[in-house]
Amino acid sequence: MRTGHFKESYGQLVALSDSRVTWSWAGFGIALLIALPLVAHNYLLTLMVAAMIAVVGAVGLNMLTGTTGLISLGQSGFLAVGAYTNAMLMMDYGWPVLLSLPAAGVVAALISLLVGVPSLRLKGLYLAITTLAFAFIVNHLILHNAWLTHGPNGIFVSGAKVLDLDIQRGRPLYYFVLAVTVLVILLALNLQRSRIGRAWMAIRDHDIAARVMGIDLVRYKLLAFMVSSFIVGIAGGLISLQIRFINIDVFALILSIEALAMIILGGLGSIAGAVLGAIFLSFLPEVIRYVFALFGDPNSTLYTSYVYEIRGIAYGIVIVLFLRFKPDGLIGLWRDARKYWSNWPLAY
Amino acid sequence: MEFLFLLVSSGLVAGAAYGLIAMGFALVYKATGVVNFAHGELVMLTAYISFTLWTTFDLSFFPLMAITIPISMVIGLTLERIFIRPMLGEPVFSIVMVTVGLAVILRGVTIMIWGPDPFNFTANIPTGVIRIGGVPFYPAQLYLIGALAVMALAGWAFLRFTRMGVAMRAVADNETAALLVGISVSRIHAMAWMLSSALASIAGVLFAVNYRLVPDLWFQGLKSFPAVILGGMDSILGAAIGGIVIGVIESLSQGYVGQGLREIAGFIVIIIVLMVRPYGLFGSREIERV
Repeated sequence: MRTGHFKESYGQLVALSDSRVTWSWAGFGIALLIALPLVAHNYLLTLMVAAMIAVVGAVGLNMLTGTTGLISLGQSGFLAVGAYTNAMLMMDYGWPVLLSLPAAGVVAALISLLVGVPSLRLKGLYLAITTLAFAFIVNHLILHNAWLTHGPNGIFVSGAKVLDLDIQRGRPLYYFVLAVTVLVILLALNLQRSRIGRAWMAIRDHDIAARVMGIDLVRYKLLAFMVSSFIVGIAGGLISLQIRFINIDVFALILSIEALAMIILGGLGSIAGAVLGAIFLSFLPEVIRYVFALFGDPNSTLYTSYVYEIRGIAYGIVIVLFLRFKPDGLIGLWRDARKYWSNWPLAY
Repeated sequence: MEFLFLLVSSGLVAGAAYGLIAMGFALVYKATGVVNFAHGELVMLTAYISFTLWTTFDLSFFPLMAITIPISMVIGLTLERIFIRPMLGEPVFSIVMVTVGLAVILRGVTIMIWGPDPFNFTANIPTGVIRIGGVPFYPAQLYLIGALAVMALAGWAFLRFTRMGVAMRAVADNETAALLVGISVSRIHAMAWMLSSALASIAGVLFAVNYRLVPDLWFQGLKSFPAVILGGMDSILGAAIGGIVIGVIESLSQGYVGQGLREIAGFIVIIIVLMVRPYGLFGSREIERV
């Protein structure tokens, strides 16, 4: 009987994964995702794209909140910065999407320093409130600087082309977002197993102890802010590509809460958890809609007139229930199940 | 000069509402160490309940509050029992996130019950203009400012002189030590939630009377954060003063600069305050620097 999976060298400890099973499952999963558009209809593809964008955003937030332990309620602000940068560069300045999308990330990362620098002196709740304030200020500035951002009129985003393919609809969009998602997950996984990721976790667990061990708090906290915002900015850019028309109503506070719900649901600090949580929550509205449809027509009108409220309630319930009963999130459930079966029939 | 007085007076009124809401935040933070992100939603929910009571029984302001306040205290107690009590001993982050979840739940439920349309809520307060030193006020505005003054004084006296208030400060100072001298910490926590929802109901009703009863009343909760931060998270009196200051700053910046600055002036202030004095103007210093 297998008693456990033991690491025998440092190489194994820091490897992306030293298990051939994990590699082959990952390869299988990606192959499935690549094959999906061949059979799936358009609606499912749209949902999948939204879910993958959510994965990108959740992985970015997880780096800041889950791995480094800096609570951010300003996710919607960074998404807005990314989406607007991408949209403005593409539509007003004629940049190709392959340049404007990374630029969206870079601009979001630079702007994150505005929050990051004051945050060096703040912890926990104060930081959460600062990031919240930041999100409001961003929305306000976008609304009141129409010369730059088109203000209340919003921006239509169209004509993003890669290799002469219109990547704003259908399969090209799907493959483009899939590629970005895989790259972002790889980036996050690689950061997390390197010195940087370990430094972040040390800061999360105890910042004074981390400082004593020689981790430059200023540098690593700011780095966490920048990398996280870079990824979130790219997620914002992808949102602008998918929905094709952005205004500030898209980037309401509920988006920040949704993002936090994703990483809490998945399991804080775990990239696989962020991915699971994002996918689960992206499909949750569909499930709710289905449930409402199941209970007849009158409720269906209830659903359509209060769609935001019902979604909000669902996110709230998910957050409360998971924090109360399963603080490790979905990934914790998975770990428990795995442990149970690999140790079966012994209890543990 | 007239313009300045008008701006200051409207700032005072808005600030009094912020102050009342901020005091609720500060009370819960002081006793339990948790920022209750659902406080704005409590303000909204209790205002709507009070509105329903008012439309059914057509009560005037004081009898209406005499019914609303106990109801809101029961709501506060229930929420604390169901959502917060089971989280005792969990990290603060988890508890705060529970209040964030609670906030979206309460918001959704309230909007689904009362619908998205605004209501006119007068609570039978007279509407004749009263002039104080040439500056016109509506009676409802004076009620709001008066409520803040009374509640700030009462809150200060409660924490200073009553047995329960001293116990609350003891719990805020050190939970374990408070337990050791025989204070029931869980009772204090429940008490803090009840009193804070009572404050929320006063703020909610008076805000709705002064402006309108709208479904984004919850947003006033977030807009009161600057007041809490300015006053220092754990100072009740500071929260009241912070509310007034933020209200006046917002009003002045809107009047002299414009550009919808009213909406974000408070948030700009907190970012500056947090950079200069992270513990607020009246709060206790406890932020460590590494």
